[in-house]
Amino acid sequence: MTAVPASQTRHGSTTPLRAAGAMALPVAILAVLVLGILVSPSFLTLGNLLNVATSMSILGIVVVAMTFVLVSGGLADLSVPATVAMGAILALALQPALGTAAAFVLAVAAAGMAGVLNGVLIGYARINAIIATLATGTVILGIAQWAVGGVIVYGSDPASADLIKGRVAGIPVLVIIFLVVAVAGHLLLDRTVWGRHTRATGDSPPAATAAAVPVRRIKAGAFALTGLAGGLSGGLLGLTLQSARPMVGQGYEFDAITAVVVGGVSILGGQGSVPRAVGGLVFVQLLANVMTLAGIRTPVQGLVLGLLIIAAVALDILVRRRGGA
Amino acid sequence: MTALALEMRGISKTFPGVRALSGVDLLVKRGTVHAIVGENGAGKSTLMKILSGLYPPSAGEIRIDGGLATIASSADALRRGIAMVHQELNLAPDLTVAENVFLGRTPRRGPFVDRTALRQGARAILADLGTRLDPDARLGSLTISQRQLVEIAKAHAARPRIVVLDEPTSSLSEHKAQALFEVIARMKAAGTAILYISHRLREVLAIADEVTVLRDGALAGARSREGLTAAEMIRLMVGREVSELFPKRAATIGAPLLQVEGLADGGRVTGVSLEVRAGEIVGLTGLVGAGRSEVARAIVDLGPRAAGTIRVGGRSVSPRSPAEALAAGIAYVPEDRKGEGIVPTLTVRENVTLPMLAGLSRLGWVRSGAERRVARAETQRLGVSPADPEHRIGTLSGGNQQKVVIARWLAARPSVLILDEPTRGVDVGAKAEIHAIIGDLVAEGMGVLMISSEMPEVMAVSDRVVVMHEGRAAPALERGELDERRIMALATGEARI
Repeated sequence: MTAVPASQTRHGSTTPLRAAGAMALPVAILAVLVLGILVSPSFLTLGNLLNVATSMSILGIVVVAMTFVLVSGGLADLSVPATVAMGAILALALQPALGTAAAFVLAVAAAGMAGVLNGVLIGYARINAIIATLATGTVILGIAQWAVGGVIVYGSDPASADLIKGRVAGIPVLVIIFLVVAVAGHLLLDRTVWGRHTRATGDSPPAATAAAVPVRRIKAGAFALTGLAGGLSGGLLGLTLQSARPMVGQGYEFDAITAVVVGGVSILGGQGSVPRAVGGLVFVQLLANVMTLAGIRTPVQGLVLGLLIIAAVALDILVRRRGGA
Repeated sequence: MTALALEMRGISKTFPGVRALSGVDLLVKRGTVHAIVGENGAGKSTLMKILSGLYPPSAGEIRIDGGLATIASSADALRRGIAMVHQELNLAPDLTVAENVFLGRTPRRGPFVDRTALRQGARAILADLGTRLDPDARLGSLTISQRQLVEIAKAHAARPRIVVLDEPTSSLSEHKAQALFEVIARMKAAGTAILYISHRLREVLAIADEVTVLRDGALAGARSREGLTAAEMIRLMVGREVSELFPKRAATIGAPLLQVEGLADGGRVTGVSLEVRAGEIVGLTGLVGAGRSEVARAIVDLGPRAAGTIRVGGRSVSPRSPAEALAAGIAYVPEDRKGEGIVPTLTVRENVTLPMLAGLSRLGWVRSGAERRVARAETQRLGVSPADPEHRIGTLSGGNQQKVVIARWLAARPSVLILDEPTRGVDVGAKAEIHAIIGDLVAEGMGVLMISSEMPEVMAVSDRVVVMHEGRAAPALERGELDERRIMALATGEARI
């Protein structure tokens, strides 16, 4: 048995491969920054960077919650587009009746309830997460569409858009909200009983069960969290756009999973952290921005992102095989 | 040509730190049933794994029909005419009987399955074995004993020289076993050599022509059936000196802490009653598959519980999760350390505090200072090495991992600790340390129920011993009346429970 200094073992870099994996993300982000500067003079401007930051913030809220799903061994939540749409549609549709703030809170709560439903199906009824969230996503979207009757909902309180799109001390409000969510998510996963139970559940469900961890509740909780996050994300999106279509959340699940996986959070559960997932988000969003500035067309961008996911998952499996316990 | 189908001579096998087999001879005549008996861990399965090509032997030679053979893999074993029928059936439940019999060797016509040849071939093999199974029946619709026959037919279809039957009757009633014996008789008449591994000594006497007894990885004796008795086999199986490896600590025995009555798991375990008192170590032993772990798992609700009452300190409890069992005062350390014990990527500290984390937190927030103190105190108490609890548990040795998994429960101060094979796979030094820890715990007034397959361990550590056989538990034997032969007689069903 090899003794390794505690500082290295804490988050698990006991092998050179793991150590390389931990360094890969910062290096990759740096490389994209350099690439951006070379590709376009408009890349390294405050305007462009703030734009990237703002556009990643709404997605980022979902990324933080999706990290919990992956770490708990829950695979992924594919109902995100539906909960985002639910948040956006309800936040706008209920404005005339309830007022902006109450409508927003109710929209987030409703999406959270949808997440709880997912959690019950996956954690307690033990339905495969991919199938369950695919199904509930379709159902939720259907209900949302049916409830509002029409196809597009418009906002009735333009002042709320100004507030959300505004800045505090030069920082966009959306970015501040995202940072608060990210810090809260990180503390939740790293410092609380729930977070520890989430990691234990994802790492070894039988061992966690035997160690008196409420595994079913933990699994369910991760999906309740993505429901809430989807609602929050959608509500903010609705207020920003002042309009909401049922397909407004399309692609959010893919983009969130991409960020989390590229950040090195294991799809196999047990390993990962919010900062890593956020690192993955920053990398992917910067890369997409650079590709756009370089005039690379959308289909090619999709190709690059798809390959990135495959590479990240393959690397994760390789590290687990070589360096895993 | 020799009359011997199989000769294994001077077979030894060493694993890092363990000598599993030393100089074992096994000589099997053509057209005979040759039984191999021995306690758990006597080396039976290692020997069979060498024969089936799963392990290479460290020393010794194997001859098949007189010719020197090196068996490199299980495919190689099959080519040489050695077929294994395992305890866990390797069949596809959604395929038919015929498809299962020819699994891997399905007859074809061009790219298609030759359905006629498949059905007729299977019918012929089944008839050859004297069974009347429908080749078109879906395997999943058959009973366990019928599936066993399909597994044997599958082995027989390859026309092997040697068939190994590993505990074929362990899941069968005596009546169902009769059908199996007829099948064995037919295979034997066809000239096949049958290696028969069983714990049921009466059965061995009924069907075996010769018996090889293994003990502690060595040959204890090879006998012909004539004149052999169950008592003689038991004597050969256990005839060893009880070593002083496991010193027993004196503790004051007090009031009953755990009382289990009429426990059943809805499967094989029925009517199990036992009691653990304060300051007492109760050994729960029996052969593999007797239902020991099932009893423990039913108590803490890791496994099904169909009937029975559980009382802790006189109060009736009915835990519906390991967490509830812990709250009621019962902690369980599972047998499968890697799969169910450790959470491999968490640190030693995180593993120790896992079940009690809520108690070390304020409003869900882990108080890291308190957590570190508890982790350090508990790992120090059990002498976990390395001492720094910030190591990933996956990097520790097996013995130290086990100490951490035990430490996990101590801070919660359970009144009863159930240990399932606590020293399996740990080296001798760590074993003694774990025994010392158990001694300390009962000295503090805890009650310990220790499941173990190792007879010397059970004999040395326990105050009382409960022996299980096929899901039933015998009344506890007091320390004064502990006797290896008596325990073995109960475990093998020679003495009635």
